[in-house]
Amino acid sequence: MKNKNTLLGVAAAAFLGQAFLNTAEIHPQWTKDYSLGKTSLASGLGADQAFLELLGFREFLAGMLWVRGDTFFETGNYDAVLPIIRLVTMLDPKNVDVYTTGMWHIGYNFTDQEQRSDRRYLPTALALGKEGCANNPETYELFYEEGWLWYHKIDDDYPQAVSWLTKANNHADIPPARKNLMRNALERDGKPKEALDYLYTLLDQAEKDYRNDPFYQTNNNLQTIKGNIDTSVIRMIQRGNIAQENGWYATGDYDTKPPFDVGFSAKVTVLEPKILKIEGTWNVLPVGTRIRVILRDADLPNAIPGSMNWDAMATDVNLDPPRDETYMQDQLFVRNRHFSKRIDMSKDITMYPFAKDKYLIEFYYNPRSAPPHIQDKFGWNGEGMTDKNFMVSNARPDNERVMYTSIEISKDQLLQEGQFAGRPVVLKTKNYRDSSDLRGSNDDVIMVPSLRNTQKPAASAAPATNGKGQ
Amino acid sequence: MQAIWAIASSTVGEAVRRKVLLVILLIALLLLSIIPALSILSVRTETSATISTIFFVIRFTSALIAIILTIYMIPNEIERRTIYTILSKPVQRWQFLLGKYFGAVLSLAMMMAIMTVLALVMFYFNHRDAGKLADIARQPVLYLVEMSLLTAIAMFFSTFVAPLVNFFLSVGFWLVGTVLNPLYDSFAQNPQSQPAFKLMAKFILNVLPNFANYDVKNPILHPGVIIQNEASYYIKTVGYGFLYIAVLLILGIVIFDRREV
Amino acid sequence: MKELDLHVEEGEIFGFLGPNGAGKTTTIKMLLGIIYPSYGEGYVLGREIGDMDVHRVISYLPERPYYYEHMTGLELLKFYDSLFGNHDQAKCQKLLERVNLAADASKTINQYSKGMQQRVGLAQSLLNDPKLLFLDEPTGGLDPIAHREIRDLILSFRDEGRTVFISSHELSEVELICDRVAIINKGEIARQGKLTELLKGGRLEVTVSGVDEGLARKLSSGGVLHQLADGYLLDMPEEEDVNAIVDTVRSAKGTVLSMVPRRKRLEDLFVEAVRGTANSKIAEAGA
Repeated sequence: MKNKNTLLGVAAAAFLGQAFLNTAEIHPQWTKDYSLGKTSLASGLGADQAFLELLGFREFLAGMLWVRGDTFFETGNYDAVLPIIRLVTMLDPKNVDVYTTGMWHIGYNFTDQEQRSDRRYLPTALALGKEGCANNPETYELFYEEGWLWYHKIDDDYPQAVSWLTKANNHADIPPARKNLMRNALERDGKPKEALDYLYTLLDQAEKDYRNDPFYQTNNNLQTIKGNIDTSVIRMIQRGNIAQENGWYATGDYDTKPPFDVGFSAKVTVLEPKILKIEGTWNVLPVGTRIRVILRDADLPNAIPGSMNWDAMATDVNLDPPRDETYMQDQLFVRNRHFSKRIDMSKDITMYPFAKDKYLIEFYYNPRSAPPHIQDKFGWNGEGMTDKNFMVSNARPDNERVMYTSIEISKDQLLQEGQFAGRPVVLKTKNYRDSSDLRGSNDDVIMVPSLRNTQKPAASAAPATNGKGQ
Repeated sequence: MQAIWAIASSTVGEAVRRKVLLVILLIALLLLSIIPALSILSVRTETSATISTIFFVIRFTSALIAIILTIYMIPNEIERRTIYTILSKPVQRWQFLLGKYFGAVLSLAMMMAIMTVLALVMFYFNHRDAGKLADIARQPVLYLVEMSLLTAIAMFFSTFVAPLVNFFLSVGFWLVGTVLNPLYDSFAQNPQSQPAFKLMAKFILNVLPNFANYDVKNPILHPGVIIQNEASYYIKTVGYGFLYIAVLLILGIVIFDRREV
Repeated sequence: MKELDLHVEEGEIFGFLGPNGAGKTTTIKMLLGIIYPSYGEGYVLGREIGDMDVHRVISYLPERPYYYEHMTGLELLKFYDSLFGNHDQAKCQKLLERVNLAADASKTINQYSKGMQQRVGLAQSLLNDPKLLFLDEPTGGLDPIAHREIRDLILSFRDEGRTVFISSHELSEVELICDRVAIINKGEIARQGKLTELLKGGRLEVTVSGVDEGLARKLSSGGVLHQLADGYLLDMPEEEDVNAIVDTVRSAKGTVLSMVPRRKRLEDLFVEAVRGTANSKIAEAGA
């Protein structure tokens, strides 16, 4: 063949050209713009699914898997949904619905028989949300969901809630109604002034929206914001926040003065192995107090008083949290200044493995998560609340005032083994007295004034005032 | 050039009468017409699920047609001796090979055009989003370049292997080429990968034909994704395809030139 | 193929014969540049084989050809014509008329009979007005009438001054139309030359009676003597002096019952050539 060498030379040049073009130009741009993120590369997929995934039909496969996952939801097979959630998010990282459903499912649906959440899954839910936000930065949704998890489920580290909700608010596609949650988050973060300022910015926008479109929805939103502003202003006045900012709190008469001693005490009785009865006192009469109780391994990594450092733990989407850790969190509802709850951990071995020797029972109360009618007394930052035994300000950043105490308990005690076999175990806070002791006590509860109550509370043996409300 | 065009035209005439290909095309058209019904997969993502499935059908069918069309082309000409009456004319072997190749690509383009048009029509009837149609049409254009490359691979192999072996080789190359980018990224981005594996992955990325480059679904399925320099990416991938096709055709010509027919 | 030394004169019909597997088609393919010789040179019309300029003035009808079945007869000719860079529909139609396919021009090839396909094949071989045609088994599998038609066409090619190279098994056809032949066996030429010269060396059969055995033997000294019931059969080379034989028989008061010349047939030549090369191979092997 004539010119064979020339042809082969051209082929060689073309080959080198394609190699250069592919490696230096096309591949980097493809990875940046057209790749769908981390590749699962057949991990955990069946042969037919891997085939489809390898051929580039990820979204198609993701849809199919999600339908299958829905079937597992219907039949209550929640464990089976987990790997499907993971696979679908890896195959189709742009599927926002799967992320939101996955976060909700992992964060809320794993419970014991008494509907207590298995919080060992919370870091996974948070990590999934983070990943979803990174893959879908153009929409507000997953930022909002992440913020909601912090605000509602974790109900503690409110700066995190504020941070994520701020990111959600920075997206143009967030519906107006969902912007309102930020105000609550700011208040829970102990920033009522910022919350009010925020409400005013919402008001400006709501008024503009209403002028542009004067119908039910925009009017409803506008009225809601106005109502919220009214409420916030009244609360800030009556709770003394405005006075605090302006320097006349000390001389004024505010609902948060004087600080109310909640008088917390608790007794823990091990009725049977892994079954506790927790009872105690809380001097607040109106219904609405929920005291957090935690039973955990004493040496649990990332533990902080009354909670965990969830953010530090939320590093990767781990579908199999540590099975040898015990973490039980519940709420003690106060009625008639007394709480009593039976906590049965005997029916859920996987959730409560009791693999360690030492445990801690923690009691925690954060006034920032109190309902409004109680917070009217306690204030947003607990300035109207105290406990002579257990009030601390070093359990949270920013010197937040919280009620916190803990009782150590051993495995033998919890399981009534060893020297504790066959006999009840009773542990108490240092100030606990049985209820019969409280009859006729001088430490009766003072009535907490309501928001609209203009009468001063009756005098009592509570911390005295100088008549000027100080 | 006239000889090449004449052979290409006769190839198209033959291809559009091949029953196997027409059956495959018909099945694809049926699937494309019922795809909107599959949008029940998800309420929120019905559009992206529909579009994704359309692309799935078009791509898979096109690959099948490209391979089946091409693997028998040269062997059939030799077996039936139709090649003799052509090569006895003033037609060089390379002209014959190029004519067959261009005929195959033209036939494939026609079939892909039919599928794409039907898909766009069905999409419009169900979603009434005319603005999206031009967006959707971008992907099949790149699929055509991808399938032209696949056709060149099959044509190259047909110059020296039997059709059955060619089928598996072509399918194998297509599958590997499709996962080349994610495969390479898995090795390259994993800090725990052995250096030897990384080197091997880089070598394979340079050598094997990369079909993954033609997958540009992301911004079409997810309109919020903004791509910089999209036009330049398209130009580069088309250029890449042309270069690799040139390599394959030249090698095919050199091999075919000395092949006993 | 082994040593192959072939010479074809311009304007003749050259027959290329050989048993199955002898290498006939291989030779033609080599001459057409479809396959390549391992060594040696070949020239067609004074140019090296494979020269594209030569392909413009030669044509080829393969053995049992297939054509693109979806095309009509006319489309097929137009397709082949376009390979020469021509688009002469009128010429294509004329050629179809020449091969008696004008009425079937719009039928597709898969509707053509074997004879019709062969004729359209001949038509395509004339598209470029070739100087030299290679026809491989042009009458293979055809009925006698089709045979006749093809044969007449081939003869008309010679009349037009074209050179025709025919490869065939049909010895009777070759004997009727070819000027020169070559017989190939096991990849090498066994016989080659003008047909008239190759078929020299016929026999004469003379049946006599009334002579004694001695005289009969004497008369058949150059040939073979067969005893019959009522006389003798003398099988002699045809060059023998017939008159002298007649005179001798009559002098001996005998009778010449018949004199039958047996011309050498191509089949005989063929068998002789094929067996001859086989025997020489055995002899070589034995030596």
